[in-house]
Amino acid sequence: MSMMPALTTLLAAADGPFIAGGTAPAWVGLMAGLPLLGAALCVVCACLNVKSKAPGYLTVGLLAGGFVTALAAFMGGSDSDSYGVATIFRWIHASIGAGSEASITANIGYYMDGLSMLWMLFVTGLATVIGLYSTEYVEHDKGLGYCRFFFAFNLFVFSMSSLVMADNLLLLFLGWEGVGLCSYLLIGYFYKKPEAVAAAKKAFIMNRIGDLGLLMAIGATFVVFGTIEFRPLFEFIRDGVDANGNAIAHTWVVVVIPLLFTAGAFGKSAQIFLYTWLPDAMEGPTPVSALIHAATMVTAGVYLVARMYPLYAADEAHIALSVIAWSGAITAFWAAAIAFAQYDIKRIMGYSTISQLGYMFAGLGVMTTTGAVFHVLTHAFFKATLFLCCGAVMHGFAGQLDMRKLSGVGSIAGFKITAIAMLIGCLNLAGLAGTAGYFSKDMILAEAFVTPGEVIFLPWAVGLLMLLTAFMTAYYTFRVFFRVFVGPVKYEAGDDHHGDAEEEHAAEDAHGHGHDDHGFHPHAPRFAMNAAIALLAIGSIAAIPLYFINAEDHGWAGSMVHESTAAFAAPEVHHDDHGEHGEPHAMLSADVVPVSLGAAPEGDGEAAHHGDNLGLGLDPHKAMYVVSGIIGVFGIGLAAFFHGPKGLGGLFIGNRTDTGSPRMDAVARYFGPLPRLAERKFMIDELYDTIIVKPLLVFSHIFHAFDKLVIDGLVDLFGSLPRWLGSLLRPSQDGMLHGYATGMVAGSAVLLLLVVLVALL
Amino acid sequence: MVDLLLAQSAFPEAMSQGVLAHYLFVSAAMFTLGLVGFLTRRNLIIMFLCTEMMFQAAGLALVAFSRYHLNYDGQTFVIFVLTVAAAEAALALALVVFLFRKRDSLSAEAWSELKG
Amino acid sequence: MPSLLHILILMPLLFAVLIALAPSKQARAIAAIGSLVPIGPMLVALWKFDWANGGDLHFVSSYNWITDLGLRLGVGVDSVSLLLIALTVLLGPICVFGSFSAVKDNPKVFYGWLTGLQAAMIGVFAATDLVVFYICFEFTLLPLYVLINLYGSSNRKRAATKFFLYTFTGSIIALAGLVYVVFHHRGIEGDWTFDIATLTSTAMGMPVEAQALVLLALMLGFAVKVPLFPVHTWLPLAHTEAPTAGSVILAGVLLKLGTFGIYRFVLGFVPEAVIAYAPLIAVLSIIGIIYAGLICWVQKDVKKLVAYSSVSHLGFCVLGLVALNNVGLTGSVLYMINHGLSTGALFLCIGMVYERFHTRSMDELGGLASTMPIWSSFMVFFVMASVGLPGLNGFVSEFMCIIGTFQSSPAWVLEGRAGAAGGSLGPWFAFAAGFGVIVAAMYLLYMTGRVVWGTPKHPAGHDDDHSELPTDLNKREISLLTVLAIGCLGLGVYPTPVIEAIEPSVERTLAPYQDLLQAHAAEVGVRHEAASEEHSEPHAESHEGGH
Repeated sequence: MSMMPALTTLLAAADGPFIAGGTAPAWVGLMAGLPLLGAALCVVCACLNVKSKAPGYLTVGLLAGGFVTALAAFMGGSDSDSYGVATIFRWIHASIGAGSEASITANIGYYMDGLSMLWMLFVTGLATVIGLYSTEYVEHDKGLGYCRFFFAFNLFVFSMSSLVMADNLLLLFLGWEGVGLCSYLLIGYFYKKPEAVAAAKKAFIMNRIGDLGLLMAIGATFVVFGTIEFRPLFEFIRDGVDANGNAIAHTWVVVVIPLLFTAGAFGKSAQIFLYTWLPDAMEGPTPVSALIHAATMVTAGVYLVARMYPLYAADEAHIALSVIAWSGAITAFWAAAIAFAQYDIKRIMGYSTISQLGYMFAGLGVMTTTGAVFHVLTHAFFKATLFLCCGAVMHGFAGQLDMRKLSGVGSIAGFKITAIAMLIGCLNLAGLAGTAGYFSKDMILAEAFVTPGEVIFLPWAVGLLMLLTAFMTAYYTFRVFFRVFVGPVKYEAGDDHHGDAEEEHAAEDAHGHGHDDHGFHPHAPRFAMNAAIALLAIGSIAAIPLYFINAEDHGWAGSMVHESTAAFAAPEVHHDDHGEHGEPHAMLSADVVPVSLGAAPEGDGEAAHHGDNLGLGLDPHKAMYVVSGIIGVFGIGLAAFFHGPKGLGGLFIGNRTDTGSPRMDAVARYFGPLPRLAERKFMIDELYDTIIVKPLLVFSHIFHAFDKLVIDGLVDLFGSLPRWLGSLLRPSQDGMLHGYATGMVAGSAVLLLLVVLVALL
Repeated sequence: MVDLLLAQSAFPEAMSQGVLAHYLFVSAAMFTLGLVGFLTRRNLIIMFLCTEMMFQAAGLALVAFSRYHLNYDGQTFVIFVLTVAAAEAALALALVVFLFRKRDSLSAEAWSELKG
Repeated sequence: MPSLLHILILMPLLFAVLIALAPSKQARAIAAIGSLVPIGPMLVALWKFDWANGGDLHFVSSYNWITDLGLRLGVGVDSVSLLLIALTVLLGPICVFGSFSAVKDNPKVFYGWLTGLQAAMIGVFAATDLVVFYICFEFTLLPLYVLINLYGSSNRKRAATKFFLYTFTGSIIALAGLVYVVFHHRGIEGDWTFDIATLTSTAMGMPVEAQALVLLALMLGFAVKVPLFPVHTWLPLAHTEAPTAGSVILAGVLLKLGTFGIYRFVLGFVPEAVIAYAPLIAVLSIIGIIYAGLICWVQKDVKKLVAYSSVSHLGFCVLGLVALNNVGLTGSVLYMINHGLSTGALFLCIGMVYERFHTRSMDELGGLASTMPIWSSFMVFFVMASVGLPGLNGFVSEFMCIIGTFQSSPAWVLEGRAGAAGGSLGPWFAFAAGFGVIVAAMYLLYMTGRVVWGTPKHPAGHDDDHSELPTDLNKREISLLTVLAIGCLGLGVYPTPVIEAIEPSVERTLAPYQDLLQAHAAEVGVRHEAASEEHSEPHAESHEGGH
């Protein structure tokens, strides 16, 4: 792959989206098939009542097989045109009739190109490592629970693979809902905890709200393009026409459909308005948070937008992209603000995931699919590392996650690897110069400042918001590190039932004092967990060189993106140093998006971009290296000042001697109710509850009463009419013989009278 | 021919309207007596006898008309009615006895099982 | 000439008589055999059926009955009828075996009527003659009335009476519509006939006003059966009170008689009126989808929740029917089958819990995942099938109904959009119906959260010594649910054969609609243009929005 000649790639990008043309080998399906087999085997294990760790090891083996398949496909992709479609079988096929050729065709088929390849590599890789971690993490639950966990785990990887490799929107939707299901099952893994059950339900339902948008988008796509299969679909979009050959630019097609896709993406990726499920999802076991709610599933939204990018870019006004950019930046800032004041370290990581996802969307919005995708990749590694470290702490301290009750964990025997990995993860998240997270974040930030204002609504404001967020991120990340992992060794065991708390609990009770720290011994991670943590930490470091290989494509991720549909607006068209690359830019502008990018006149692109940069007279990326580097260090320093212990652990500026942070407490007072509000997550959950859930519940009760009283009441009323009539006539039947006789005589007399009258008249 | 012969032998001549009116008056009087008796009396046997009286009133009218029209049908019908009435009387009296045994009373008011 | 269908209809009838004659102890065994045996001829029918020409009637047979009136005992099936018969035959043994432990007293009456009901239902789907159809249609009421009345829960008498009277009133009105069509035929052709195919061809020629009246009559009748929004209240009551087998059959097949009636008669007889009134019917369906869904959300009785969910789900089914295009109709027919499987299974699951704990209240049940893991796994599976999770059956049909509705915008048809077809609905209808998907997740997961997950509760009414059932499911129950689960999974993973089987019949039903729909779209377009000219808008951009 790395040997791919640059020119080919760029031309492909310049022609519009790269559309995989060939036929991929059918064995790429193994990436989805092996986890599915794993899920089936877990069911078998459950039926056979296996009480060992067999399902776990089986899963890891099969997932490793999936990873090997992904690697093999990747290697194969470099020297042949095996990027293409592999059709396994026809899933849904329904002709629409009426003499039309169009049909809803959805195969179980896999669309392999750079984007899906990249995703599959890290999904299968991370799944394998985190699977390994889980074999130890859920060991207390051997038996049915163990099988259940790994069943859902496998099913998740299957669904994620289907989502990523789908060759049509419907299979993508299958994966999309499938990961939602697995997320539901895994968040609710500790099903006896009401919070976990509620969180699982919330995640599923909020995702469904987004899914409605996706469903409508699929419908609209089908109506307009007559197909939901990627290859013909992207051919239409590349040519800028719908199925009837009419241009789609300037029509609702390129505004409404992308916005609908965006709604789906926001649900899955926990963006603006729809983010509240993700922090709650932290109720799930930590490996699940790491894999699903940090590394893979939540990036599905980014994947979807990147996949459908040509449609977004086809809109000259870039309405949908502006929406994405702004929503992303606002979400990034908002979530960081909440993370500022949280004390649960896992929730902080949850909010930081939302925040980083915001970055990715902002990256997509400011037209750097490469930056967004690279950030997905680096984030997957370092955030998974962070979560697994949090998990190790949680596992070791009986579910303790409160940073006010933990200090100096890194100095406790057995937690060395955890602490080092945590440091690596935190540095990445904080964006310390030289880390992978730094480079990927930098790409997005820089692009925000170079994207011309004609393309996106106020892109520089997006950039500034993200810079502010970057500072906040560095601060809250190291707030966790400085308080939990360094400083004096002090801890308090957790008392809730996160993870395998019960075991410790039992030991604790045996000592006869519930909350006494001295009777409690931390439970250091053993081989599987340490290995997984170490592997992921190494992975987050190994992501650094990816930025430097294929530099002309802006790194390895760029070279992958260029061979996908997301290539459409890959950043090299914005600022190339070489004249020959200016040409593709021009072609792109002229053929497909005549106004948007063409705002920077042909051959003048460089100047335009440079004029638009930070004013430092530098290449925007280089300028951003400096700015974001400084910001990162400043944020870490601030965290050290407020939360660092005395000495090197606190970089000599900290003064913390206990678990609390006196300096912070002193400062917080000046912010009034703000820290308190942030700690309570700005009451958004309560707000939703008040304005949506409660009214809906009231409506439901009203409907229920209405159904019972009015609708059914009307029915009963109708049914009781004859009865009522009967009761009116009832007294006439008194059962007395003389009554009847009199009645009969009277009746006859009346009849007779009538006859006589008629005869007379 | 047969009709004529029969007519000559059985009904030498038709009844006049005046005579018919006498018969009908008697019949009507009997019917009214029966009806009034049925409505006013409570004793089941008396009531039954009253219905018999109304029966006979109707029979008398039928016979009278039969004679007036020189037609056998009315006569035949009355014979039938008498026969059925005899059987019915047996049945009805048996019922009355039965009812009497149930309630120890002959009053019609003792029975109101069909009250709605 | 006797046909395979006669065997399918008469066999259950024969077994019903056998059950009636045999001693009470044997009733269960005979019913079991009687429910399994028809699977044989059904498989033969499925195998012999010429699926490529699924729109034609197969296994046709017709005997003169009352010659002067043109009454014939006619049977014959197209692909849709055959698939619904297959569903009926499949659910037969599920109901019988599912009642083994639940029905203790007077098994003879129970199994006898249950088996007889099978015959009636198959008769409805197989009839090619209006009178045969109607007789079977009405005969289905009686067995279920008996089943609810004798074997139901506490309020069973009222439920049975209401069920009978309500649906009977509806069908009487439908009968009036059907008879009108027959008279119309006589008025034109001069002969009496009750042959459905013949009537279909003449009924289409009715003037629009007459069509509207017939539509009203037929819809009133069939909508009660479906049940559609304002006339649905008998269903929750009947479901809640019915014995498990009754609920399974009711949800699985009997409700489909209504949608089948709409498919066969309303769509077949009065196309112009259907096009005119499709939006109205669609609005009622959508109201039903969301309204019933929200009501589900506040239920305490699990069975009532699933009963109301049937109202919600069947709304999708009717919506797909009035989309008047291939995708919608095919999806709708598929929905009939899928709903039968997944909702039937849910009722079965609930029945199993009820047998153990003698309660269906969510306040008393809870945390069954710890005590009944097998049951819980099945429950979650069927809930997901019902929620419409892709990969399971519910999704395919729900998706097709929604997309069918989405694409049926007249504006798009007029524009000649590649993916537009049929009807007089459009994206807004689909969008509104789509909320039903969210609501479905809300109430079903609410139920799952309370019953399956959470801390285990021990219902007060539970007395172990009374029940010979184990805590979790026994082998019989597992195998019943497994059969249904395989059906759900199979139809979710590989629905194409069924979709392709349904399509010929759907195409035949829709054949008269093509020109009418084009004309309708043009008319709507003209109206639209006139309106926009009035407002002097040079670019009618909202045109594309598709209203």
